[in-house]
Amino acid sequence: MNLLDRAEEVRFQFKKDLFKVKIDIQSVENFRLRYLGKKGYIPALFREFTSLSVEDKHKCGKILNQIKKESENSIDTLKQRLNSIGIDEDFFDYTLPGKLPRLGHLHPVTQTMNEICSIFREMGFGIEFGPEVETDYYNFQALNFPKNHPARDMQDTFFIGDSILLRTHTSPIQIRAMEKQKPPIRILAPGRVYRNEAISARSFCTFHQVEGLYVDENVTFCELKGTLEIFAKRYFGKDVKLRFRPSYFPFTEPSAEVDISCFICGGSGCRVCKHTGWLEILGCGMVDPNVFISVGIDPEKYTGYAFGMGPDRIAMLKYGIDDIRLFFEGDIRFLNQF
Amino acid sequence: MIVNTKWLEKYIDIPYSPEELEEHLTYIGLESKIQKSPVDKIRGVIIAEVLDVSPHPNADRLSICKVSTGFDMQDVVCGAPNVAKGQKVPLALLGTVLPNGMELKPVKIRGINSEGMICAEDELGISSDHSGIMVLDEKAPLGMELSEYLSGEGTSIDIDLTPNRPDCTSHIGVAREISILTQGELKIPEIKFKESEESTEDYIDVEIENIDGCPRYAARVIKNVKIAPSPQWLINHLKSVGIRSINNIVDASSFVLMETGQPLHTFDYRKIEGKKIVVRNAEEGELVETLDGIKRALSKDILLICDAKHPVAIAGVMGLSNSEITPETKDILIESAYFSSTTIRNGSKYLGLSTEASYRFERGVDPEGIINAVNRITDIIIELAGGKVCKGIVDKYPKKISPAEVKVRFKRINRLIGIDIEKSWVKEIFEKLGCRILKSDDESVQVLSPTWRPDLEREADYIEEVIRIYGMHKIPSAKRLQIKPSNEVNSRYDLIEKLRSILCSYGYFEVFNNSLVSEKQTQFTFKPVKPVKLRNPLSLDMAYLRTSLIPGLINTARRNINRRNCDLQIFELGFIQYFDPDSETHAMEILKFSVLITGAIEDEHWGYQIRKSDVFILKGVIEDLTHRFGIESLKFEKCKNNYFRHLLGTNINGKEFCYLGQINQEYLQSEWSIEVPIYVLDANASVLLDQAKFEIRYKPLPIYPAIERDVSILLPEKIPIEEVNQKIIREGGELLREVKFYDLYYGKNVDNGLKSITFNLVFQVADRTLKDKEVDKRMLAIHEVLKNDLNAKLR
Ligand SMILES: [Zn+2]
Repeated sequence: MNLLDRAEEVRFQFKKDLFKVKIDIQSVENFRLRYLGKKGYIPALFREFTSLSVEDKHKCGKILNQIKKESENSIDTLKQRLNSIGIDEDFFDYTLPGKLPRLGHLHPVTQTMNEICSIFREMGFGIEFGPEVETDYYNFQALNFPKNHPARDMQDTFFIGDSILLRTHTSPIQIRAMEKQKPPIRILAPGRVYRNEAISARSFCTFHQVEGLYVDENVTFCELKGTLEIFAKRYFGKDVKLRFRPSYFPFTEPSAEVDISCFICGGSGCRVCKHTGWLEILGCGMVDPNVFISVGIDPEKYTGYAFGMGPDRIAMLKYGIDDIRLFFEGDIRFLNQF
Repeated sequence: MIVNTKWLEKYIDIPYSPEELEEHLTYIGLESKIQKSPVDKIRGVIIAEVLDVSPHPNADRLSICKVSTGFDMQDVVCGAPNVAKGQKVPLALLGTVLPNGMELKPVKIRGINSEGMICAEDELGISSDHSGIMVLDEKAPLGMELSEYLSGEGTSIDIDLTPNRPDCTSHIGVAREISILTQGELKIPEIKFKESEESTEDYIDVEIENIDGCPRYAARVIKNVKIAPSPQWLINHLKSVGIRSINNIVDASSFVLMETGQPLHTFDYRKIEGKKIVVRNAEEGELVETLDGIKRALSKDILLICDAKHPVAIAGVMGLSNSEITPETKDILIESAYFSSTTIRNGSKYLGLSTEASYRFERGVDPEGIINAVNRITDIIIELAGGKVCKGIVDKYPKKISPAEVKVRFKRINRLIGIDIEKSWVKEIFEKLGCRILKSDDESVQVLSPTWRPDLEREADYIEEVIRIYGMHKIPSAKRLQIKPSNEVNSRYDLIEKLRSILCSYGYFEVFNNSLVSEKQTQFTFKPVKPVKLRNPLSLDMAYLRTSLIPGLINTARRNINRRNCDLQIFELGFIQYFDPDSETHAMEILKFSVLITGAIEDEHWGYQIRKSDVFILKGVIEDLTHRFGIESLKFEKCKNNYFRHLLGTNINGKEFCYLGQINQEYLQSEWSIEVPIYVLDANASVLLDQAKFEIRYKPLPIYPAIERDVSILLPEKIPIEEVNQKIIREGGELLREVKFYDLYYGKNVDNGLKSITFNLVFQVADRTLKDKEVDKRMLAIHEVLKNDLNAKLR
């Protein structure tokens, strides 16, 4: 159909001319008249349109209207530019603010967890989840916390029933994984945990953990140290120093706490590290044989290590946040910073 | 557990500075922290002697003291009631600034010049005591700086003990650990007292009814003691570890407790009836009054120490007031026992009462240290309070507590640690720890654990000891890791992170809300559920697990709106819990994500118009999101719920998946005082992740041109757009590739009851160029159907 072809041609020509128009009143007006004036190209197309059959009108109407609207808009824009820039046609206010793309923000603790997980995943760990409502068996007994042992005081627990509770750590996931899988087992267990502790700037009733577990033949303490060293250097920087000191967790034997040299003061002592030069960052140890026995893994054949850390605490240290409650308030002025 | 370096030095030479000791102890698993002493801050206060005290001529309560610092003599006006001739006292010199900020200047007090001040403890910042001036030991050297003198009292170190180390709840225990490090000799105090002719057996008999709860009980009687204040050395020792002095007998038992770790109890013997001690369980509900003056109801699991008639102590926790030592006490009965850790822990938990004694019994005391502890306290009491020691100890030991015999294989040590440890060194360390080596060869060593180390029961426990003493920091890190890569594909974790990051890419902020909520908040659900209640909540506001993420999001919105941040797009991903309808005990746990939007969804900008939140933004979110998880053509249904003004629901493959809508404004107003409209989306993340499909098959791009047409009609306004859409699709048939609804208009030029709508249609086939005629035919058919079926008018 001829009319449509001609219309497309007009549209094309218009766009070409548009770039060449000089920004002064006379040139813009001339340009307008050439296309939209009574004798201009576009009214000419419409005159032709009126003589079409009803059917053809349906086909062309939209296109013609579109071309007309486009041209009018372009010329309006040209006129606006004329008005806003006055006589200086080259003026361009580059100081006007840009339009920022609007993207959301992941929670700083999510970001921290993801960073931690991705480092260990590169080393070969997979990721497992588990329920937040747990049984006493998975949360304590299978992890070698005897009933009525003072070790249970290390973790103040919310109870739902006699033997149902909110998990106090993500270690039950280790038990569940070892029940399901055969060695070699290498998993990370991230998730939300609960402690029945008074709420303050330093402690909240819920927070997060990432735990790791590796079980195979001949897993050694040296290997545990090597793994955590790689993690710490990747996460905190290659100059970071690690300090392992013996500690006690019922599910590992031996157990250790790991400090890193304070990345704020470089080890010389500051308020954050309480003037010790060290920041406590994670707990770890070799899997206790009793834990292996409770999941039916032969402790003579297999050894393993486990470690755990708190992304909330790590994020607090990393970003200099002094109140854990900020993580749970959802203030966008806070979240916007990460 | 607090230890003091000077006290430790009674038992072991310490070649370290306090800072070095702090570090060494930390490295062997006793996490230590030096307690900063207020004494360090005192400057310009020196030790002086009061040579003479005379009354102030112009004031009754003041006195004029002549004091000597050894090199100078001064007159000082003093108001303290306890000042006396011959005392050694702290004297603040002129020009000194005291820790409380006071600066000393020459003053005239009621006409008398005062050239300094004799200080009370509060003025020095040592304690809050202002009852009188601080009086020092008579041997304190004249003219010495007070801080220097007091630092001679040693440095106190706070050890954060792990529950597996009962042996280190005492100075001797910590000294033993130091001796392992220094190879030094442990010095155990000698016992010097002499026994009298009278026999303890004639004064007391012990009967144990519950031998599991009390495997060993030892008692001794000392007659004719004199209750008195403790001497300064004892007061100072106890003070250095945070214990207040009471009298010589009670302090002696505290001292032995802190020295040996064995809790001791002293009774006023004359208040014990029938010359008898009975160890039995309490009766349910039995009432007693403990030393702290509180009446307590007991449970039948609590162990009691009784005389022939009445209870006199709650075993291992606290004595009762009826048998307490008083200034009138003459004869005393000493108890030194081994109570089972479970029994004491249960009792202490039940009563909500934790004491120095229960702390140690819970962890396990040394069953063989009991007799030594009795002898040690006897020695100290005789020294401080005189008296006659009855001969012998009544020692009932019906259930022998035997330490473990453990075989430790050298190969196993090396296999677990990853390096070879010298066998002879291992044996040496075991001996140092107090083990008896029963047998040893090239493969292994068989040891008998020391009675003070109930935690050493298995080979693994000994391997830990080897690492601990060897020094974890000295064990090398593996240079090559042997871990093999995991073979998981498309893990749950990846899908969850994908979900999070897509929501984030829409411009939404991730928030975390508390999972513990009030009962009221648990009612915000789409169908009634039974919420999970905590037995021991922190508060009523946090007594339940959340049943929906929405109340948390609304709460967060409210907080932000109150802080004048009214344009919000937030989401949370997390678990909700409620009871399985078929079970009273099994909690269902569902991974959800919820989105809340309110206000403008874009930042204001000079060149653009901003859009406001509405339901269709959320509808678009869920449509795009599901598309990205490989789920197409969601069907939405209108739903009803009192919390919502408009509510839509949708399923994925028949599984309830998502609700979205505008929250009822009256509810927002009355519950949350929110006045602006709020739109939320609530979705079951598990359903999305389970149904997700990532099998993308590429469709070849069309090579033949498309023909575009518009359908512009006037339509009765109550006919849903989807109905028109379906008709167009049906009539467009296989030629129609795409239908897009793009314009909706009411008002000017459109009659009442009608709406003007426009669809854009794209006709295209893969194998040829379409002819206009073919398309025209379809367009005609579409127009016909819309006219006839929906009463539409062409524009
Ligand atoms: Zn620091």
